[in-house]
Amino acid sequence: MVEKEYLKKIGFLKDLPDRILEKIGAISQLETFDEESLLFRQNQEKALLYMLVSGKVFLNSRSASGKSLTLDEVTPGRTFGVSTLLGGGHASTFTAICAETSTMITVSGEQMRQLFIDDFETGHAVILKVVELFRSRMEMHTRQFIQSLANHPEIRVL
Amino acid sequence: MVKIEDLKRINLLRDIPDHLLEIISREAQLNIYGKDTQLMTIHEKVDTFFMLIMGQVAIKKELTPRIDIIFDFIQSGSSFGTSALMEGSISSYTAVCQEPCEAITLSGLRIRELFKDNHELAYYMLQGAARQYKKKMDIRAKMIIKTLDENPELKGAVHDIENLTPVA
Repeated sequence: MVEKEYLKKIGFLKDLPDRILEKIGAISQLETFDEESLLFRQNQEKALLYMLVSGKVFLNSRSASGKSLTLDEVTPGRTFGVSTLLGGGHASTFTAICAETSTMITVSGEQMRQLFIDDFETGHAVILKVVELFRSRMEMHTRQFIQSLANHPEIRVL
Repeated sequence: MVKIEDLKRINLLRDIPDHLLEIISREAQLNIYGKDTQLMTIHEKVDTFFMLIMGQVAIKKELTPRIDIIFDFIQSGSSFGTSALMEGSISSYTAVCQEPCEAITLSGLRIRELFKDNHELAYYMLQGAARQYKKKMDIRAKMIIKTLDENPELKGAVHDIENLTPVA
């Protein structure tokens, strides 16, 4: 069980009402992982949602040619593994590994999805946050793609 | 009003129980649009959620005053205008029919009112929208990883790479 004060430190959840945070807290765990702990591997199905309280986590992806790219350095307050809330067996597009000793709140995707079904108000509130998060990231990527293209020398001369 | 059978042809609604599809069917309308009809306009409020039954819709943005870029084609079974499911959303693109189209539409205002009273409906519809975003994000992430693999010097130019896949 995790107290709601910890959950309020997580950007993804901080605006949710206490009633909902208490329900999520009841099925969450606070865990500490050592440096270099492997949380999950690329192409492996994820089972947990991770919310970082302290420390740092690297998200690495191995390309088809075998090169490893660090896509992200997750810092406290941020979340990864959100797609486990959607069900449907999504395989991870990256490997998650602790860059230093890290404390995080973990919650089973299956238990969260069961909570959503048992209490649709909670499901509505959390899934709305997921949609808003995905939508803002999609728009950001599109904006950057358009900007990069507009600055391309061959486009600028047109 | 539209038939439940028509709603079942829409990917986003595929996991929605029949009793909720009945509610949607009462609120939905079936519309036919001619080629080149502009269904959504960039920077304008999104009032309608569209579910395409037939035809093709181009999703585009202005690259320069003389060039538009089409970054997605919506085909039958797919939906767009998801922002209408959320309060106060502004369109980030323009949507134009590439050919005569048949679409089921829902008023954003009405569906948001329904969401306030029926959290089960809200949960299932928003879950469908989140899955749709996830699928598109995964495709883009793979494209960017492939591009960075082939052109590692570009990594420094991708300012938001830290936000590429943390939600996946």
